[in-house]
Amino acid sequence: MNEKQLNILLADDDKDDRLFFSMALEALTIPTMLATVVDGEKLMAYLSENTQQLPDVIFLDLNMPRKNGFECLSEIKLNPKLNQLPVIIFSTSFEQEVVNMLYKNGAKYFIRKPSEFLQFKKIIQQTFTLISQENRQKPSRENFVLTVQTS
Amino acid sequence: MAIIKKTDEEELLIAHKELAFQKEEKEKLAGELIIARKELAFQKEEKGKRAAELGIANIELAYQDDEKGKRAAELGIANIELAFQDEEKEKRAAELGIANIELAFQDDEKGKRAAELGIANKELAFQNEEKEKRAAELSIANKELAFQNDEKEKRAAELGIANKELLFQNEEKEKRAAELGIANKELLFQNEEKEKRAAELGIANEELLFQNEEKEKRAAELGIANKELAFQNDEKEKRAAELSIANEELAFQNEDKEKRAAELIIANKELSFQNEEKEKRAAELIIANKELAFQNEEKEKRAAELIIANKELLAFTYISSHDLQEPLRKIQTFVTIILENENENLSENGKYNFQRMQLAAGRMQLLIDDLLAFSRVATTELKFEKTELTVIIEEVKTELKDTIQEKHATIEAIEIGSANIIAFQFRQLMYNLISNALKFSNPDIASHIIIDSKIVKGDKLNNEKLSPEKNYCHITVTDNGIGFEPQFSDRIFEVFQKLHGKEVYTGTGIGLAIVKKIVENHNGIITATSELSKGARFDIYIPAA
Repeated sequence: MNEKQLNILLADDDKDDRLFFSMALEALTIPTMLATVVDGEKLMAYLSENTQQLPDVIFLDLNMPRKNGFECLSEIKLNPKLNQLPVIIFSTSFEQEVVNMLYKNGAKYFIRKPSEFLQFKKIIQQTFTLISQENRQKPSRENFVLTVQTS
Repeated sequence: MAIIKKTDEEELLIAHKELAFQKEEKEKLAGELIIARKELAFQKEEKGKRAAELGIANIELAYQDDEKGKRAAELGIANIELAFQDEEKEKRAAELGIANIELAFQDDEKGKRAAELGIANKELAFQNEEKEKRAAELSIANKELAFQNDEKEKRAAELGIANKELLFQNEEKEKRAAELGIANKELLFQNEEKEKRAAELGIANEELLFQNEEKEKRAAELGIANKELAFQNDEKEKRAAELSIANEELAFQNEDKEKRAAELIIANKELSFQNEEKEKRAAELIIANKELAFQNEEKEKRAAELIIANKELLAFTYISSHDLQEPLRKIQTFVTIILENENENLSENGKYNFQRMQLAAGRMQLLIDDLLAFSRVATTELKFEKTELTVIIEEVKTELKDTIQEKHATIEAIEIGSANIIAFQFRQLMYNLISNALKFSNPDIASHIIIDSKIVKGDKLNNEKLSPEKNYCHITVTDNGIGFEPQFSDRIFEVFQKLHGKEVYTGTGIGLAIVKKIVENHNGIITATSELSKGARFDIYIPAA
């Protein structure tokens, strides 16, 4: 793996989840750079301050204080400068209607936070692979929800 | 010639003698004539006297005729007045008849109104609003009845006044009849007088018989006039008798009217008593209505509170389950991190305990997921849309791909059409049923699941809960798995009811409860049929669009 470093932005108010995420990244072989914000407002502020160096991918939690993930997604997709950014929803809960709405609103993928750390690592690895493969291509609805591939 | 002379002389003497005799005779006759003339003059005087008497008698008769004419005119007026009074009486009697009919009609109306009140009371037991409306109508009706009673009392008072007037008129008539009686007696007396005078005239006439034809005619005329007067007297007597009969009749009618008036007064008292009773009943009904309304309000409040409480409970279940997911997931993640990173530092016993912890956490996750699904099915909005069942089945098959492979299962869908369903709920239903069939498959044979759907009329389905007129979409899911004993066919749909220990088959006992809830959301029913180790069949009936 000698690709350029992947810039990742994680928006999650939960300290433990941010820890899991960074632990998972450390375990991966891909060179990554992780930035984290703890709520939706800070996410939008970060994006407007770093227009010259936007992240390659955003991992977005849904339940956050001050501005939730749905609002952030809509704002990003309505902003011409940001709407090409791949936004990956990273959530504890899984509800069909919510997932449908997120797909319609332009999220790239939906990931339900796994309960096993091994799967946590695997799903992030899978996501990076997909991101690098098919840029700008919106996946079909059946491939929207990412699950750990048993292999 | 001498002879002749002698004879001439003799003849002359005889002639002289004869002349003297004739002179005597003439003188005698002249004397008789004078006497006769004197007698005629006397008779002439007598005739003049008689004629004067006759003139006086004629003047008297003319006066009597005038008097008779007047009397006859008075009788005519009296008769006209009597006829007018009779007409008045008939009118009054007709008015009384109408008043009686009106009273009878009003009594009928009251009877009807009472019947309506009875019906209204029965209805009150069930429908409160209706009762309130009816009570309002009743109070209006009572006011109307009171008004009608006032009217009736006025009418009765008017009738009383009319009766007094009639009585007064009858008295007047009786006075007039008495006066007529006196007048008749006077006439009779005058007639007697006239007869006496006529008799006297008859004597005078007999005397005058030879001389005056006119007198005889006058006498005959007088006779006829007398006959006429006698006839008129007869007529007057008849009239008087008729008047007395008419008076008796009037007296009888007055009695009748008084009786009727008394009856009317009694009827009015009865009506006012009935009205009081009705008012009391209406007041009681108003009180009963208020009480019922109060009870209904209380019930409605209670029901509304229960609905809110139920919703709150389901919302609480949902929120608590939802929020429990996160800490649980973290516990699970930390356990796996420890097991992975600290593997060489842990004793075998420590590792085993961590694995047990993982299993427990896994079961908790399952429970939370199922509880979430259950409360979501119970709380979310029901949005029906025409959906192809095959699409749903294919989605579920994709979702269960791994398990299907693992169990070497075949899923066969026959004659699958579309149905009016809540799509995401129906997907959950099919998911639960198919995953159930896979879970409880017979380990010795390859799992075979058949899904079938048909539109069938209710009366062909042999289920009393289905209405025979409606069309139903009948979906069956049949498997060849381990099945269950028939006595559990209802219990398996209850929440947390399981037929196997969790060590043998994982599960929370919520899956089929969710299935049942979803079918109920579709206004349908579900039944399960099975025998141990002979597979199971689930029949779903939902109304076809």
